[in-house]
Amino acid sequence: MSGAGFLLDLHRCVGCGACVLACRIENGRTDTAAWRRVLPLNLRRHPGGPTYFLSVACHHCDDPACMKGCPSRAYEKRADGIVVHREDLCLGCRYCEMTCPFGTPQYDEARGVMSKCHLCAPRVDASRLPACVAACPTEALRFAAAAAAPPPEGRERVPGFADPAGCRPALRFLAPAGARRAELFRSLEEALKR
Amino acid sequence: MLVTLDDGNRIVSIEGDPDNPATGGRVCLKGLSYARRVTCADRLLTPLRRKAFGPGFEPVGWDDALGEIAERLGRVRDAHGPAAALYYEASGSHGALGGLSMAFWRQFGGCTTTFGDLCWPAGLEATRLTYGDNRHNHPTLTTESRLILLWGHNPAETNVHQWRLILDAQSQGARVIVIDPRQTDSTDAADVHLQPRPGTDAALALGLARVIVDAGLHDTGFLGAHAQGFDEYRQRLDEFTPEAAASITGLAAGSIRTLALEYARTKPALLIAGFGLQRHSRAGQTMRAVALLPALTGNVGVPGGGWQYANLASHCLRPLRLPPEPAVSRAFPVSQVARHLSTLDDPPIRAAWIERGNPAVQNPAAHRLREALARLDLVVVVDQFMTPTAALAHFVLPAKTLFEEEDLVTAYWHPYLQWRAKVLPPPGEVRPETDVWRALCGRFGYDTSYFPADREACLEALLPAGCRLEDLKARPLDVSGFGDVAFADRRFPTPSGKVEFASGQAAAMWGVDRVPGYEPLGEGAESATRGRFPLQLLSCKTRDRIHSQFGNLDWVRAVERPHVLDIHPDDARARGIADGSRAVVWNDRGRIALTARVTHGIRPGVVHVLEGWCHDGDPDVNVLTAEGLTDMNHGATFYECLVEVAQA
Repeated sequence: MSGAGFLLDLHRCVGCGACVLACRIENGRTDTAAWRRVLPLNLRRHPGGPTYFLSVACHHCDDPACMKGCPSRAYEKRADGIVVHREDLCLGCRYCEMTCPFGTPQYDEARGVMSKCHLCAPRVDASRLPACVAACPTEALRFAAAAAAPPPEGRERVPGFADPAGCRPALRFLAPAGARRAELFRSLEEALKR
Repeated sequence: MLVTLDDGNRIVSIEGDPDNPATGGRVCLKGLSYARRVTCADRLLTPLRRKAFGPGFEPVGWDDALGEIAERLGRVRDAHGPAAALYYEASGSHGALGGLSMAFWRQFGGCTTTFGDLCWPAGLEATRLTYGDNRHNHPTLTTESRLILLWGHNPAETNVHQWRLILDAQSQGARVIVIDPRQTDSTDAADVHLQPRPGTDAALALGLARVIVDAGLHDTGFLGAHAQGFDEYRQRLDEFTPEAAASITGLAAGSIRTLALEYARTKPALLIAGFGLQRHSRAGQTMRAVALLPALTGNVGVPGGGWQYANLASHCLRPLRLPPEPAVSRAFPVSQVARHLSTLDDPPIRAAWIERGNPAVQNPAAHRLREALARLDLVVVVDQFMTPTAALAHFVLPAKTLFEEEDLVTAYWHPYLQWRAKVLPPPGEVRPETDVWRALCGRFGYDTSYFPADREACLEALLPAGCRLEDLKARPLDVSGFGDVAFADRRFPTPSGKVEFASGQAAAMWGVDRVPGYEPLGEGAESATRGRFPLQLLSCKTRDRIHSQFGNLDWVRAVERPHVLDIHPDDARARGIADGSRAVVWNDRGRIALTARVTHGIRPGVVHVLEGWCHDGDPDVNVLTAEGLTDMNHGATFYECLVEVAQA
């Protein structure tokens, strides 16, 4: 099965950060930067656009730029779609930090290697959900199996980030619903098209 | 929640309990943050004594600390009597064993304590007066609602588990309507949002009722059988035409009409009120007015319908075994600590013992409270961290976390009583409070048999009939016997046995009108002081803190929202305040400076600061708030606070 990745329901995500903490606990990211981040959009609630939150980690791209940029073949695109990074092969050259357009790989100063979200591959291999997905209190963040299902009635699935590097991120979003958010999101999309 | 440790007693996972249907087996970020909290570097691990010379503290052994505290407490009592000691406890590390502190104080001869609550008491009392008890439908029945009206409530930020169920209901077609002066993460996802003036909710509720009754949409069958005083209430509605309610609330009369008709026509409809609309002096009567709407429309005792404020179904523990009541006892309202620390005499307060709370920043008139604490002969603070309250102490005693002592935990929203296992030994020199009290009793030669050698046996004895600790250890239990649908039998434990639209008890106990009405706030949109202080200040809650807890942790700070002054562009422009600039906020009580965020997400005439002082740079908002009392049940009035704002 290929296409493992995250699906984020922008209507359900409240930007609480439980996913970030669950990732820290699961992956031992105690005193270092977290692999997952929550980016709030429009906290000022400007009436021109919706307020929502992007919970993002690695997008587990179909054609990963990190992997292409790695001279030591420390990255692997697994058959199920998960992009894993092997620290034992990593030179710490930080090329992937430059090639990934999303700023995903992080340099670990203490150990001199890169690190990034591996979609909780050990959990996935044991048929468990990634820690961030399992922890999400509002069930906004989901795993590929759910991502493959058709979106709920009246909800639109939108592609992930803009993709200038052509690496085809596997991250997908469900567009905001609710009167105000949906209306504002439409106006935002139209503005982007213009 | 379920905690997993590795061989080195390190927490490797914190997960929701799949046997708790209310949370769906999920934990909020505050629960997850305990993985950091228990081991973080600034946790207090040893008793501290204020240095005799110079600022700061020095570590001290338990024997020396308790010996000196006992001697100084004894001196205060001998000179002024036991009531010269204040025992102040709040609700941090919430559990049943906290009450054992009174085994010491009762043998001490008594002490001064506080009554009432900073948080929610007026709404509890209003609900009790109206329905007879604070119970509501099982959380999972939320998904059966067709309309969910959130009134002064922001579950997307303050109850994410409830928010999950509300979103589920919405995805199944329920309409979500929010009444809140602010835009919040909840209003963003709502179908309709109304932004009334703070403190005018009673007028809005009565205006809605007037439209419903005029349209003949009230449930005459239910009211005929189960309402007490409906005719008196109906007369009260004469004053509240939609136009009258509109002029008080600042909403359009058409919006009031539309909301009333939609609420009354959509069945079942669930009304969930937040604690925010009862944080002012007219709180009880306001909450009674709002709480009657579900009864008016026949939404009581119905799955998917109902009134939700707080659910006390799990508050069913038997009392702890304690010594007899002491001869001396004195108490004052918890919202007025600063005033009473300064003014009480016969005897004056000379010593304070503070645990599970942080009154130096979280109570009204915080700066005066700090000054008053600094004047005392002895202040002992029990805490996990060096809070602003602990910084004023003579002795700071390191407190356990919830993982470090067994206890029983009750809930505010779901009906489950829960067992809290001891999963970790207390680190460093930390001792559970129960051990501290036992040791202090030993110092004074008091009876220590109240402190159980076997905590499990002690907790087992608190359980209601038919509930065994063994069962509770397996899963959270609803032991209330109330059933999933509150008041399904239409039996209301009020004096009349009915829903009380007119309450003789309210009049007799609290001196308020039998029928809820609207009275302007003493410090609100209609008061004279608005000439000098034209803006209503709200200090609300958000997801990453419980008051002054959690925000000190680096993990939480990395995901927290900015603590800024929210001000509407109209109000900002009139004062020359630019987005991101420094602003000062002041009134006759105090003054704070902070960064302004110019936002359309707040009603003009209202400004907002998140409460909860967790780290340097957080707004010290309670220097602005007043030591008022709610009209019933001794609550605080944090949201009845006028201010002016200017460029810093």
